[in-house]
Amino acid sequence: MNLSKPFPSIHFRRVLRRLEPAFYIAPSFIVLGVVLLYPLGYSLWLSFHRWTMRTFRQGVPFVGFENYSTLFSSPDFLNSIRITFTFVFLAICFEFLLGMALALLLNHEIKGKGIFRSLILLPMMCTNVVIGLTWRLLLHYQYGLVNYYLGVLGFAPVEWLSSPKVAMASVVLVDVWNTTSFVALMLLAGLQSLPEEPFEAARIDGANSVQTFFYLTLPLLRPIILVALLWRFIDTFRIFDVIYLLTAGGPARVTETVSIYVYRYGFQAFNLGIASAASFIMLLIMLVIAGILARSIGREIGGQ
Amino acid sequence: MTMQRKYYLLKRLNRLIIYALILLAVLLSVAPILYLFVTSLKEPELAFAIPPVWNFTPTLQNYREVVSSTRFDRYFFNSVVVAISTTAIALALGSLAAYGFSRFRFRGHFWLRMSALIPQMLPPITIVVPLYVIFSGFNWIDTRQALIVSYLTFTVPLSIWMMIGFFDDVPVELEEAAMIDGCSRLQAFLRISLPLALPGMAATAILCFLYCWNEFLYAVILTGREARTLPVTITAFMTNRSVFWGRIAASGSLVLIPVLIFALLAQRYLVRGLARGAIK
Repeated sequence: MNLSKPFPSIHFRRVLRRLEPAFYIAPSFIVLGVVLLYPLGYSLWLSFHRWTMRTFRQGVPFVGFENYSTLFSSPDFLNSIRITFTFVFLAICFEFLLGMALALLLNHEIKGKGIFRSLILLPMMCTNVVIGLTWRLLLHYQYGLVNYYLGVLGFAPVEWLSSPKVAMASVVLVDVWNTTSFVALMLLAGLQSLPEEPFEAARIDGANSVQTFFYLTLPLLRPIILVALLWRFIDTFRIFDVIYLLTAGGPARVTETVSIYVYRYGFQAFNLGIASAASFIMLLIMLVIAGILARSIGREIGGQ
Repeated sequence: MTMQRKYYLLKRLNRLIIYALILLAVLLSVAPILYLFVTSLKEPELAFAIPPVWNFTPTLQNYREVVSSTRFDRYFFNSVVVAISTTAIALALGSLAAYGFSRFRFRGHFWLRMSALIPQMLPPITIVVPLYVIFSGFNWIDTRQALIVSYLTFTVPLSIWMMIGFFDDVPVELEEAAMIDGCSRLQAFLRISLPLALPGMAATAILCFLYCWNEFLYAVILTGREARTLPVTITAFMTNRSVFWGRIAASGSLVLIPVLIFALLAQRYLVRGLARGAIK
């Protein structure tokens, strides 16, 4: 009697069954490994080597931490990190203040809510290049509509994009225009999913609307606020297109974020070793902050 | 005036203020886009006239100039080909993976699913520097395939993440019934779940398409005269001393029109995807 025959086959089937998910999932992850992990590893390798347009044909010598130490002693690079954080902070503050206000407004029972919501969504979907372009026309010193209407109201014209004092504010303004709707819609989704009982209890206890907002709505919204914050942080930290089109980092580097710095070093000066090192420092900073945020989101959601 | 009447009036006033503020927000959101369209329809001399002229005969002159400019048709074609090819590949890969995540539980499930979120967080500039060197090695700089490959870095994770939600909505029982009737798992996927998730797939496709259509950083670095896409092309109309505001506006509008149409079509799914993709 040959009893041993079915066993390997059952065993084989079991292995096959356990591998079934891999059949579906593996293709994507293999592709991501090739197009994403390999370049990332290569970039890490580059950041320890000298690669410039003039010298790369003679070889790409290993230079250790030279690129990194050059960067940390470069005032331009440190400046770009400072600029990036200033931009992130200002943009996120305004986007959350306005986004919260907009979400609270849209949370009322109003007619035509759907239409309002789709119209408010539009800036978020626009091509960034077109946004940069449009605002460059709008903020033009001489022919821009913004200065014209300021003049009508009796204000002096402002050098929106060419004055080192104002350029950062203009870039923040455009980003706020672009993405406040994202924050508003996320917060609105959060508001609509809140339970009703605590609010009724608060009303019965005689809390006014300001108290209800600060002691009830905000704490209950915490998880979704953190999620929106995480996405906004990631997006503002790596911003490139809009700033590139509005000011290209100028005037006098007051709007030169790290992405623009890397672009300048990598693709105008063609020093890819330095560019890789800079982009890696950027990546690390971002992963640390995003990690902290993601952890507190995990705790928030897990704690409920 | 009685108390009640006063209360009633106050309430009406309150509603009025709410409507006014919402209308203001809508106006501020839409005005720059409208300005772009209106400017694109003005005659070249009127485009940057100050004070602005609102009362004019619309003309398509700017559009004609943009479309007949050097190789505009080619760049338009590039944009379309790159966006469609990337979307097709990403959707095929992403739906498979999303189905796997939605229907199977295995060790490391949570972490693997979460890791599909990480690529969305990477700064594109970090990826494009090494991609530039790698593609130069294959002589792929300024080709459409270089763009397609690099766009997979963000479209594949996006479609995985969106599609998981849509497959979760398809009841497992339908598939189980089919499998009892003798379908294999793959057949059940292809014949039952995939057709049911089709609206979700359409929304995901639209989003992927828009991301590719709007993309600028990879395109400006990896392409030159041949494989350039529209966002790069229209920046060429914007030079520092350019007085061709009409042309700038027309080229911008041409890029924006498909975006706005698609965005309005898919906005319901978009809002849902945002909210659940990030929370779940």
